[in-house]
Amino acid sequence: MIEAVGMRPALFEQIERAEAASRRWFRAKFALVWVVIMAALFAAFAATDNLDADFVTEWSPYILGGAGITVLVSVLSIALATVLALIGAIGRLSRRAVPYGVASFYVSLVRGTPLLVQIYIIFFSLPQISPLLILPAIAGGVLALGFNYGAYMTEIFRAGIQAVPRGQTEAARALGMPENLIFRRIVLPQAIRIVTPAIGNDFISMIKDSALVSTIGVQEVLWRAENAGRPTLHTLEAFIIAGLVYWGLTIVFSFVQERLEKRMARGDR
Amino acid sequence: MKPMRTSALLFTGLLVLITACQPSGQASGDPDDLLAAIQAAGVIRVATDPAYPPQSELLSDGTYQGFDIDVAERIGEELGVTVEYITPDFSEVVAGGWAGRWDISVGSVTVTAEREGVLDFTGAYYYTPAQMAATTASGITTLDGLAGMTICVGEQTTYQFWLEGTLELVGSPEPTAVPEGAQVTTFSTDTECADAIASGRTDFEGWLTSSTTLANAIANDAAFVSVGDPVFYEALAVATDKAGPAHAGLQAELDRIIAEMHSDGSLTALSEQWFDGLDLTTVE
Repeated sequence: MIEAVGMRPALFEQIERAEAASRRWFRAKFALVWVVIMAALFAAFAATDNLDADFVTEWSPYILGGAGITVLVSVLSIALATVLALIGAIGRLSRRAVPYGVASFYVSLVRGTPLLVQIYIIFFSLPQISPLLILPAIAGGVLALGFNYGAYMTEIFRAGIQAVPRGQTEAARALGMPENLIFRRIVLPQAIRIVTPAIGNDFISMIKDSALVSTIGVQEVLWRAENAGRPTLHTLEAFIIAGLVYWGLTIVFSFVQERLEKRMARGDR
Repeated sequence: MKPMRTSALLFTGLLVLITACQPSGQASGDPDDLLAAIQAAGVIRVATDPAYPPQSELLSDGTYQGFDIDVAERIGEELGVTVEYITPDFSEVVAGGWAGRWDISVGSVTVTAEREGVLDFTGAYYYTPAQMAATTASGITTLDGLAGMTICVGEQTTYQFWLEGTLELVGSPEPTAVPEGAQVTTFSTDTECADAIASGRTDFEGWLTSSTTLANAIANDAAFVSVGDPVFYEALAVATDKAGPAHAGLQAELDRIIAEMHSDGSLTALSEQWFDGLDLTTVE
């Protein structure tokens, strides 16, 4: 390529090195800005003289320990949501009234009611209908979150499936593949690759929404922060710690997602 | 059209997964006898409040401590099982209909006529005075000073009922009269009232809670002063769900254990340990 452009290799390398250096400088300054902002916020809080360092050292491990449950709930929920979204997308793409109607109803109802209300109904109200519907807290939370996110992801999946080039389906048909196999072997894998970034975004969003399951007693980060801070009258420290934990999780998983996307895009070059 | 088959496959898979993940719960014992189920599982699930010191509170290592916790541990010992603590909202516990999520409540629940409709109580394990307090900021020092003021209480507690005039105690002396025109504001648990004042909120002037909770809060620098004599005394007992599995056997065992704890002095010892030397296990 260098030869094609007619550039001398040494010059090209020089330009590359200069660009890499300026990128590194930019990243260094960017990190410095963040450090300064966080230090300023910390100083502002500390100056109020109302923060208890002993509380922080004593309770941080406990609150941090909730991160495991937060991630577990999020992973299980996103898995459920993905399956529901797939079923919903197929329904929404259907030309038959029944699947289309059912899927549309699901999407409209779930997107039209607050997530917290859904969590309450699944955990508190279902047992009222039948004792068979009693779920432990984590299962109830996963069901509610998965059910909710599945509705939002349905539209994303539908768009993803429709984004697979028509030529793929046509070529498969020309080869005599049955419709069902076309969907499972040709369309679906490609659609999944298209929607993976969206699933990643929703997973990160899910990590924050998982805080809502603290209301039904799942002992994850927010629950732990609440119950650490309230009786000791240190809710400010507790909630700051909780916020930082969620922020940390978000940053970590965003990074993972970025890497994943780069890896998946390799096949496109 | 054919994608529907994939869809149907996924759906069935989902259903299978959900049914497989159903908790077997206490199913290993006879489901009609709660005591047998508990002993078969080797665990008794006790409802407690994670933020109600000195009765029960959550520690930074994830364990609990407090008067109610010690009583629950003793119950577990006597039944030969370990104790697992569940932390529902107080209003859920006293509403009954626990849906089998926990077995008993050792959470300083007052015996009232209304609650007896949905819960089965053992004999009382201790009695607390209900103590009125006022914020130091309000400057109120007498019960009459709270006339027309707003008083903070925990949701669905006897303190709320007393203020609203609907309190029907069982096995306790008559309460004193409510300050005229007192308004009520609630939080999900009593200690949140202290927390609200600590964070600078000024929407109420009074706090009504058990004398033990108040004493503990004041010892931890809560900005309240005790006001007047206790307004009523309440009998507190261990509770089971009327709507739950058949529990006559468990109820009898709990009564026996509580009675034993009274007679062998262990309840008195615990009371003196947690309530600053006071023995609250007998009626005043």
